[in-house]
Amino acid sequence: MSEYYVCTGCALLCDDIEVETENGKVKTVHAACRKGVARMKGCIDSLECTVDGEKTDVESAIAKAAEILGEAANPLIFGHGNSSSEAQKLSIALAKKVGAYLDDTSSFCQGPIIEAILQEKLKTCTLDDIRHKADVIIFWGADPSNSHPRHLSRYSYFPRGKERQRGWEEDRTAICVDVRKSETAIICGDNRFYKIPMGEDAEFMDALVSALSSKVPKTSFGFDAKKILELANVLKKAKFGVICVGLGLIYSLKDLEPLFRLMDKLNEVSDFNIMPMVGQYNMRGFNQNLYEETGCINRVKYSPESGEAEHGPEFSVVEALRNKTVDAALIIGSDPLSSLPLSVSRYLAEIPLISIDPCRNLTSSRSNVTIPCALGGVEYGGTAVRMDGVDVELKKIIDTDNLPDVEILKKITEAI
Amino acid sequence: MGFGQFLASPEIKLKVVTYRDVFQNTAQETSRFGEEYERSSAVIKLDLKDIAKLTIKDGETVIVKNSSGKVVVTAMKSDYEESHAGIAYMVNSPWSNSLVPDETGGTGVPKFKDFEVTVQGAKGEKVTGISEIF
Repeated sequence: MSEYYVCTGCALLCDDIEVETENGKVKTVHAACRKGVARMKGCIDSLECTVDGEKTDVESAIAKAAEILGEAANPLIFGHGNSSSEAQKLSIALAKKVGAYLDDTSSFCQGPIIEAILQEKLKTCTLDDIRHKADVIIFWGADPSNSHPRHLSRYSYFPRGKERQRGWEEDRTAICVDVRKSETAIICGDNRFYKIPMGEDAEFMDALVSALSSKVPKTSFGFDAKKILELANVLKKAKFGVICVGLGLIYSLKDLEPLFRLMDKLNEVSDFNIMPMVGQYNMRGFNQNLYEETGCINRVKYSPESGEAEHGPEFSVVEALRNKTVDAALIIGSDPLSSLPLSVSRYLAEIPLISIDPCRNLTSSRSNVTIPCALGGVEYGGTAVRMDGVDVELKKIIDTDNLPDVEILKKITEAI
Repeated sequence: MGFGQFLASPEIKLKVVTYRDVFQNTAQETSRFGEEYERSSAVIKLDLKDIAKLTIKDGETVIVKNSSGKVVVTAMKSDYEESHAGIAYMVNSPWSNSLVPDETGGTGVPKFKDFEVTVQGAKGEKVTGISEIF
């Protein structure tokens, strides 16, 4: 019988991956998408262990990292989406110990949706529920054909499920609401693609609520009312509906109230769930781990004296860097110099900076200390949380000389 | 050398929407410093009408700038059937992020998918390399 591994290319955490190895390296990856294959084969720019640009041993780099964090008055610890839950818990403890700002990428992406789900303000389901039951699937500001390539084939559209034996041809309706005709919109088809102007998602949602209430929907941008009424009819008849929420929707909403209104109405007339289209493989794990510890999913600042966590936008990675309120930073499995606006992230290069990552990236190239770590799901195992909140065990495939981030964080904490 | 080189290239204002691309994401997994990552990232997709206004050809480089930054990227004609003149698409990357303004209104969330830029033909200038971005 084949042995299956988990792909850590995104938060779908596909667990049906077969791998062939040769000379201690991943040679062939079966079943994963192209992004997953590239993730599991590893990068060609391995990170080296350095202090101030000079190669060194890992113990010296850990000692220097501990010195930087120990001396900083307001350090920032950021990243976590590509770390196991075990490493995330150690990072939370380290932040508490040194009185750090602690944040992850959910702070500027899926955070509000995950928070609402954990606070039970939004009804949700698992990906397996979608595969087996969903008959109406809305991709709103989401393009899984590019961001989560196996979402449609494994769960949301193409597979036959227990209650969806006739598959996509007859049993499922996929709908796309977006500002551009994405690859996913093309799969949904012209009749099921609702192209709306930039920033008008909230208004379109309220028009849809009107249509679901049997009122004539109106929009300031003149969207065809007939088309909205027709969409409302499809949604009303859904036996098991789901809205897959992408960044396009999240960035367009000032707050989640329009989504709450739409979900309330949909669940009055039908049965609908929310699926957050989480990117990094264990972003949700970090949100859940921090939520258990502090009641907040991200954006906290620990008091060095009391160990209490304060929470608010001012403690977000973006505001902390914009306002230059942090004086050192530890980045774990992330590249904020690539993923944040340069106007914000530029400040990172002005403060003592530590990078823990398997690969070289823009942030590591500006770091005073770089510590290579094992690649999660390939060179070490651990636990992660899928986008739908399901725990997944990762398995090690090959050996490495690099320590896993969980070990590096343990050693840094001990050294402070 | 023709007289045309002394004329300023037309400059137009556009709104930018960023998006994800699986090919670029794959290249990123392999190497953030590789040619494939630059080739798939340093791109702006334009409507045919905007390409005509800029008096450039598909595949030529353009200067994209605003008060946050400036990059030279490859202009490509968008493959969308419907016209989207005035709106350009850039894949989420360090090139697009060098143009995202830092204003957040204190929310902690920059406008990654909605910002303004001016675009101008780069007259054969090379694409900005990843190490030149910072």
